[in-house]
Amino acid sequence: MGPTNLLQSARYFVEEEDDGSLVRRCRDGDLKAFDRLVIRYQKPVYNAALRMLRNPEDARDVAQTVFLKVFEHLEQYDPNLKFYSWIYRIALNESVNALGRLRPHEAISGNEIDQTPGLERQLDSEQTRHAIEQALMRIQPEQRSVVVLRHFLHLSYEEMGAILELPEKTVKSRLYTARQLLRDLLLQDGVC
Amino acid sequence: MNEPVPLELIHAEIDGELEAHQRAELARALLTDPDARALREGLRRVCTALDGLEAVEPPPQLHSSILAALPASVRPALAQRAAWWSAPAGGWRYAALVAGLLVTGALLYRVGMGRGPDANELAGTMSGSGARTPVVVDSVTVDFGQVNGQVSLQRSAAGLALDLQLNASAPVEVLVAGDGQSLRVRGPRTSVALPGFGAGAQTLDLTFVMAGREIGSARLKIPAER
Repeated sequence: MGPTNLLQSARYFVEEEDDGSLVRRCRDGDLKAFDRLVIRYQKPVYNAALRMLRNPEDARDVAQTVFLKVFEHLEQYDPNLKFYSWIYRIALNESVNALGRLRPHEAISGNEIDQTPGLERQLDSEQTRHAIEQALMRIQPEQRSVVVLRHFLHLSYEEMGAILELPEKTVKSRLYTARQLLRDLLLQDGVC
Repeated sequence: MNEPVPLELIHAEIDGELEAHQRAELARALLTDPDARALREGLRRVCTALDGLEAVEPPPQLHSSILAALPASVRPALAQRAAWWSAPAGGWRYAALVAGLLVTGALLYRVGMGRGPDANELAGTMSGSGARTPVVVDSVTVDFGQVNGQVSLQRSAAGLALDLQLNASAPVEVLVAGDGQSLRVRGPRTSVALPGFGAGAQTLDLTFVMAGREIGSARLKIPAER
């Protein structure tokens, strides 16, 4: 077992306390509980922001802001909502806000389309990854949000609806549209 | 006139939410409609590509930067714990953790097997004679219900060591953290060397864990060496 595995094992070992309990402890002023929440959620929050923004530095800034907002607004957290729904909602909102602050050339980084004719490309998994990441940045943020929730955070439509405060039917419709747009974009680029 | 492409069925199939009668309906549509087949194939590729994008590890400094950004009034309480959790991969903290676990494992093995030199002699940390005789520099009595007893911090010429003398109905582990170093010690009764501890730390934070749940914590002071 390597050192990384050892540490992951140690983390798992102490991370079994459920979110609700950690939140209650946080509210009682137990900062170790907040620390646990950071450890537990920093990776999905960072990845959600990264998929929304594509830029690692922006994603890191958003992730930091998300946890600060969680800390500051913990008293307002509604325990009827799952904690992860709450923090993912904040993460998506902060990502969309960050997109609004980016300068135009940064916000459209997904338009750096490879102009190599499709038939001449030898697509491998790396190129496909690059192409799908680019295509993601070319759809609307609200469409990208549902893709992030479904395909990267692996949430159900019910959970997505709770996060986005939308009916499941609307969530499905939005995701279907996003997938089809991605497919069209990849087709245009000769990838799909 | 062609039937419209059954988009909802294609997406439901991709999501694994297709019911039996819908499956038959989709199969019929795919059989007769090449556009539906092409669309289905394209969407499946998109979703496979999306699902294939792996999650990346956040920057190692993210955790510490989050804690550092908290209001100044709450930061000190988290400082030591942050050092324990935010250690970058491959850094010296990992090395200390592994070293500590190896020493722990060696001690437990020797004690458990009941042969070879006394566990105290293994790391040169515990009992002996003359200058090697350990001195208790701090101790704490704990009582967390399921676990009670005493934890002592000892110092000898070989360095610091932790002595657990706990009574527990089930295995208990103690996470030891101080000055960026960390170590996991399995109880309830054992003695382990604390290699690398004590150089900069003034305290050791102990977190007691049983069956995966934190049951309590304690702190030991490390007095300056004379």
